[in-house]
Amino acid sequence: MLVTALRHPGRLIGLILGMVLSLSALADSRTLDTAYGQVKVEGQPKRVVALYEGAVDAAVAVGVKPVAALATRGTTGLARYMDEHAKGVAIVGTARELNLEAIVAQRPDLILASPQMPKAQYDLLSSVAPTVVPKTNVYEPDNWKSESRLFAQALGQAAKMDELIEAVENRAAQLAEKIKAEYSDEERTAYVVRWMPQGPMVMSSQLLTAGLLEMLGLQVNDDGLVKEGRPHSDPLSLENLGRIDSDWLFLATLNEEGQAALEAAKKSPAFARMKVVERNRVIPVDGQYWSSATGPIAAQKILDDVEAALLP
Amino acid sequence: MTDTHLTPSGSRRLLPIMAAALVLLGLVCFISLLIGAGNIGPADALAVLLGQGSDDARFVVGELRLPRTLVGVVVGATLAISGALLQAVTRNPLAEPGLLGVSAGSAFAVALALALGASAATLKVSVAQIGALLGCLCALGAARLRGVGDDPVRLVLAGAALSSLLIALTSLLLLIDLGTADEIRFWIVGSVAGRSLDHLSEIFPSVLLAGVITVLIARPLAALALGERVAVGLGHRPGLVRLLAVLSVALLVGGATAVAGPIAFVGLVVPFVARSLAGPDIRRTLWLCLPLGPLVVVIADILSRVLVQPSELPLGVLTAMIGAPVLVAVVRARRLPTL
Repeated sequence: MLVTALRHPGRLIGLILGMVLSLSALADSRTLDTAYGQVKVEGQPKRVVALYEGAVDAAVAVGVKPVAALATRGTTGLARYMDEHAKGVAIVGTARELNLEAIVAQRPDLILASPQMPKAQYDLLSSVAPTVVPKTNVYEPDNWKSESRLFAQALGQAAKMDELIEAVENRAAQLAEKIKAEYSDEERTAYVVRWMPQGPMVMSSQLLTAGLLEMLGLQVNDDGLVKEGRPHSDPLSLENLGRIDSDWLFLATLNEEGQAALEAAKKSPAFARMKVVERNRVIPVDGQYWSSATGPIAAQKILDDVEAALLP
Repeated sequence: MTDTHLTPSGSRRLLPIMAAALVLLGLVCFISLLIGAGNIGPADALAVLLGQGSDDARFVVGELRLPRTLVGVVVGATLAISGALLQAVTRNPLAEPGLLGVSAGSAFAVALALALGASAATLKVSVAQIGALLGCLCALGAARLRGVGDDPVRLVLAGAALSSLLIALTSLLLLIDLGTADEIRFWIVGSVAGRSLDHLSEIFPSVLLAGVITVLIARPLAALALGERVAVGLGHRPGLVRLLAVLSVALLVGGATAVAGPIAFVGLVVPFVARSLAGPDIRRTLWLCLPLGPLVVVIADILSRVLVQPSELPLGVLTAMIGAPVLVAVVRARRLPTL
């Protein structure tokens, strides 16, 4: 046989090339541990549909632009901090309601879904393309890391995501040092709220934001006001604002005019007389990535905001 | 000769009932100052009323509880009187101010304003009022009445249809503009929390105008209850009277909705109860609505503060929960009060 091969070098080269290539294709198939069992993803997915804000964030962070995504809460497009990556991304529904026909029309070869996706929807979608549903489904501050890692693994970019997460952790540690140096122990409690005229809604201390703030050395409370598994509380009565009157107050708004929202809140005498308002330690922040989105890019933006506010 | 045997059987003297209602209202308002969703308990609040008390307590009682009690009183009175007027004009004991399209008009106007960029915290009170008036005008126009007096049934039908249309349009707007849906969801269930006396002063002119109109048409309305021909014979003009009554309803409900959001049931139940106590004369019913409406609203507001501390329940939920059993009791206990 060797004699035949040597006599036809083209065929030999072709054979070797074929073996090498098929080996690498085999190496490119990944098995993921998802909430609904093992999911196998082959090769490099080109048409990725991201049905979860954390998935959009993770995908864009590792350099893969999804072809379709869900509208972020409160608007009809992607979150503003994703604006520069939003061109050409089709919107296929909202977090409450997926447009299954639009998703199928996108001919996806990978679907990255929310940890809260119900089994029935998962079954439908997995018949269209491999669907990745992260296992985390209770609000925990570090969920974003395991979710992002899973999505990156599906996209074949696990190493890059590890780097990004490590970058966030390192930056947080550095900022934490500076914050601890700048503010004493008793000056570092904080609340994250959304202000409504009837009273503030306290954000859960189990969200990404709270986890990051804790890493930075700020102690985030929700004072037992947020029930298990809910992202925020019911509006607190105006008589109870003393419960959120601590050292720092991060005021999240769903639209951009954070300063205007702060002025509007100050019109309420109950708000204006809080000590944290009088000491000017109320920081308006963009609710879209402080309370709605999640992922490595959102994490970096939150660190940006805290750095600008606490270490001007 | 006392005039008790000149009064029709089944009705009683108005004065004792009025007095009792006013005393009860005073008591309830006092309790409203003492109770809240926070840490300032009745003892601390009492201290404030007697002149002492901590800064916090004084703020809570003076800036939070007092304004909302007053707002509750005004909202209750306006809604109850508007309900009584509408029921008299349409000769329909089931008429509710919402039937004219005024509440739906207010809600749509507020949704539109929020969608166009206003914020819930700084929304001008006049937006909801204008919405209410426009809603009412549309209902009147849709009924195509040359003088409203011609056909109250047509007015109710037109108003009900317009309300449904406006509610559908509002839902559509909220589905399209999710940001507005997020901002409006707390306004639309109705609440007097966080309302200040500034809001009251903004609706004061229109409520005052409505009050003047009501006083002027009270007597003609009573005559109208005897029948159109009798009323005309007595020198009244039914068409004009009905038009003025509808205008008054629009102004009153517009004002109440502008301050507290759409609050259901008060305009339906309170006139019912007032009429069952006062008899068929619209003037006595109107008088009795004045304390009874605020009574229902302030009691509902007190309950909204204590049931789910440290949060509060929306007022509209509680007025329905109070109003429904009261309505059932009235219907079962005596003959339906005739108009």
